[in-house]
Amino acid sequence: MDLLNLAWKNLWRSRRRTLITLAALSFSLMLIQAFHNLSYGVYASMIDSGVRAGTGHLVVYHQGYLESRDEKLSFNPHNLVEEIGQINGVEAVLPRLYLPGLAQSSRESRGILLTGVVPAAERKINPFLRSLPDDQWLTSLDGREAILGSRLMKELQLKLGNKFVVTMQHRSGELVSEMFRVHGVIKTGIKSVDKSVLMVGRNRAAAMVGSPDNIHELAIILEDQKFDRLVFPQLQELLKTHSDLEGLTWEKAMPNLYNAIRLDYASQKFIFVIMLLIVTIGVINTLLMSVMERFREFGIILAVGASTARLRMLVFLEALLLGLVSMVIGSCLGSLATWYLQAVGIDMRSFISETLEFGGVVFDPILRAGWDFPWMAKISVYLLLLSLLAAVYPSIKAGRISPAAAIRHH
Amino acid sequence: MIFLSLLKILFLILIFLSGSVSFSLAVDLRELIRTVEQQYTGQSSISAVEMTVVTGHWERHLYMESWSLGRERFLIRILAPIKERGVATLKVENEVWNYLPKVDRVIRIPPSMMGGAWMGSHITNDDLVKANHIDQDYDFTLLEETNESWRIEGIPKPDAPVIWGKIIYQIFKEQLVPSQIDYFDEEGILVRQILFDDVQTVSGRTIPLKMTVVPLEKPKEKTVMHYRKLQFDVDLKKDFFSLGNLKGRR
Amino acid sequence: MLYQLALRNIWRNRRRTLLTLSAMIISSALLILALGIFSGMLRDMLASATEQYYGHLVISAKGYQDDRDMFRHFSMDKSIENVLKQDEITGYSQRLRSFGLLSHQQNSSPGEILGILPSQEQTVTSLQDSLLDGHYLTADDPNGAVLGSGLAQRLNVVPGDQLVFVTQAADGSIGNDLLLVQGIFSTGDIGYDNTLVLVPLAWLQQVLVLPGQIHEIAVKTDQPLNAAALAEQYRVNLPDALEILDWGEMLPQMREVVASYDISRMIIVTILYLATGLGILNTFFMAVMERTRELGVLMALGMRPGQIRTMIMLETAIMGSLGLLCGAVVGIALSLYMALVGVDLSGTLTPITYAGGTILPRLHAVIEPANILIPSVCLLIVSLLAGFLPANRAAKMQPVVAIREE
Repeated sequence: MDLLNLAWKNLWRSRRRTLITLAALSFSLMLIQAFHNLSYGVYASMIDSGVRAGTGHLVVYHQGYLESRDEKLSFNPHNLVEEIGQINGVEAVLPRLYLPGLAQSSRESRGILLTGVVPAAERKINPFLRSLPDDQWLTSLDGREAILGSRLMKELQLKLGNKFVVTMQHRSGELVSEMFRVHGVIKTGIKSVDKSVLMVGRNRAAAMVGSPDNIHELAIILEDQKFDRLVFPQLQELLKTHSDLEGLTWEKAMPNLYNAIRLDYASQKFIFVIMLLIVTIGVINTLLMSVMERFREFGIILAVGASTARLRMLVFLEALLLGLVSMVIGSCLGSLATWYLQAVGIDMRSFISETLEFGGVVFDPILRAGWDFPWMAKISVYLLLLSLLAAVYPSIKAGRISPAAAIRHH
Repeated sequence: MIFLSLLKILFLILIFLSGSVSFSLAVDLRELIRTVEQQYTGQSSISAVEMTVVTGHWERHLYMESWSLGRERFLIRILAPIKERGVATLKVENEVWNYLPKVDRVIRIPPSMMGGAWMGSHITNDDLVKANHIDQDYDFTLLEETNESWRIEGIPKPDAPVIWGKIIYQIFKEQLVPSQIDYFDEEGILVRQILFDDVQTVSGRTIPLKMTVVPLEKPKEKTVMHYRKLQFDVDLKKDFFSLGNLKGRR
Repeated sequence: MLYQLALRNIWRNRRRTLLTLSAMIISSALLILALGIFSGMLRDMLASATEQYYGHLVISAKGYQDDRDMFRHFSMDKSIENVLKQDEITGYSQRLRSFGLLSHQQNSSPGEILGILPSQEQTVTSLQDSLLDGHYLTADDPNGAVLGSGLAQRLNVVPGDQLVFVTQAADGSIGNDLLLVQGIFSTGDIGYDNTLVLVPLAWLQQVLVLPGQIHEIAVKTDQPLNAAALAEQYRVNLPDALEILDWGEMLPQMREVVASYDISRMIIVTILYLATGLGILNTFFMAVMERTRELGVLMALGMRPGQIRTMIMLETAIMGSLGLLCGAVVGIALSLYMALVGVDLSGTLTPITYAGGTILPRLHAVIEPANILIPSVCLLIVSLLAGFLPANRAAKMQPVVAIREE
């Protein structure tokens, strides 16, 4: 124990050096933690909006629908909506129908994909609909109100309140038509979305094609992303009795989003490795220097009877203490920074020169951090280990000191 | 390139043109139109049509011959211009095929391509699909009656799957043929007009042989369909409408 | 004299010098590498979005990109050619576009047909690198077609099969002709794979009855991130009826992605600079601080404070420059490796389609002069500062006090 004490006192003998090294280590830890948490938060919000606008954290499809998008692969969910809704952690279950057809106004016609939804549930979840005023939203499952993308509305030369006709192929092969009215308009800023969104109540859409109870997609939104590990197995259980259906996680249903995030993480890891290397070099340097300048002193200690092992241990302990203290300070600072980045965040709009119209769907213009405690702990431990690693060479050097030569040194 | 539309154009004309039934003055308007439509049911026809289309970018003259049986079968073949001679469309129930002589291929038209204007003309899919149900989808009132003609207004029934806000027919009393149809959008703006001319008696029916479609928001544009030959109640068998006949002789 | 003293000082305590130098070299090399990787990722992201289809800039008739109206065509002329002669433009491609029906035996599907000149198109886009089967169009293909895998599947065609294309020509007639499938591509993007077909420009011009006409010119530059500014520049020299758009205007969601990526890059780069700077600061600072006693002796022997400072600065400058030079060399070497070979992640990841582009799962670097000069200069300044501060402190001290320092 007194070796530890000695190590501690040694550190503070060269206060300036110790302080500088501590500062460097702590600061680096803080930056790494803060940045990781920032991207953690940004990914989480990207996943969240992607999941809510897309297929949900978990999704149920007919076998083969994901690959082919063949509208004939629809299914009757029976009680699945209620059963899944009852699983702990499930926030909402959204049944959806996707039907290709033709939309016509008195002046134009366009190919469209009619989306049949359950209005009440969908409104709460879908970020595309966030900016829609209440009086523009759908209220009934089989009404004739429709929500259109802004570009689609413009192309059909329609205004709010105008009617239009949708024609599609009934299950029997006949062409059927229904009249709808423009009740609301969505403008996301994303061309492909604004050109194609056409949402109506699910029952009306299903009745048109002659399969009133069928849907194509059951999107499951969880209260928290992390619950998917718990909920997915339960979903699989429920689906055992429906052999024509398959349950998927969002990673499988939206591989693009998933892989984009993974690629980003991979590059981040690479960068952090480099950063830690840089920092470690500084630590090695410092420790080495401190050993060098205490050559004489160490020589005396050895001459007086201390073992080389104890000397090496001393160096290690000094490094350990440096590591521990900076770990603590660094984590505290990192947490502070994370807290700031979560509460206030970084507003991207102040960085972008042009007036970018942020759809607010793909990206929340404010970047916010999230708390990834496990990772923070892990990286702190790495830092500690690195400090110890940095001490290896210096400690070997210290052990090799021959007392006589050292005392005569400089 | 949506040949399906042509059949419907023929129907459209024939609906309003089958007027050999006499009516009393106190005429039931829906009956008028429905009877007209029912008169058409079961009809077979052979015709030769000249179509002129004028758009903002070009002007075209097509000469076509066509055969029809009921509402489920028709065959149209283009005779002129030379570049398109032999191009033909066959519809049998829900399937539509085109024959393209230049590449000597038959292609199937998927249902999703049924939209848009046929051959760049001002005739749309809506006319064709909806024409059969006009009497069911609208409510009719007599707006005005003169010695020569009736002006009848058709207002779509609530929730009827039609794109128009209002249609106004001008029909000659004596011959029971339309002279003009005006199509309005929901805001009452006149979007399209169809004008009828050249009334003749064919196979015992009195019909206008010339039809001009005018899109009012593009005043320089129009589509004119003019029957040069027309015969009703001809002897056509179902198997005439086959892929073999689609290719036909040049 | 001071200079010689400085040099001798450096070599006197070799260990210290080497320590300091090595810290400098490794830190700066790693910083340069990291910056290279970031630039590489950014370039990759941008390339993925633009190099498959859009290019960095596009010249077309006003309003064409909004409605793709076939009648908004134009033809190449002198003023456009002059604009395309600019140094920054590394490639351009004339294109004609049509939407129509493709058919093979019993299968039909709508598609987007792009008439191109193979030699030109390959300087702008990279679909030739995504071929699954067959080969790209060649200059003497009269009616070859290269189409997306989804479309090929729906039409059930393989290279060697014939396709019919039908559309409305510009004179109102029914344009139709045969295509011979030469190749099939797969980009991972449903949009292209399920609808896009590349055909010879002349063939399409004939089918559409638009001889000598094009709808757009896609342009590639060597400054993709500066595309908007370049567009501004070129705009004034183009005919009034035409407009020039940059990739940001055509793919606004990609612009969002790049913007947010740039921000995180800025943050990380700042962090890296700080970390490296701190490391250098630490090293140099310590190196000089430890010599306070020695400097005190020098001052006691008569060296003036100004001379002390200058000597130290010289030492720092020499070591710093040497370290940076070597660091730059190592950094460039590492970056070269990453640029040419890279780290292939395709074992664990698949190509990613996001916001209009497809990103290949690999890390690589781009060597940009800025990525080498800026860190070098910054770190040099940091090291000079790091040396200056303790030297100044010592110089200001009374020699006696300095000598007594531990």
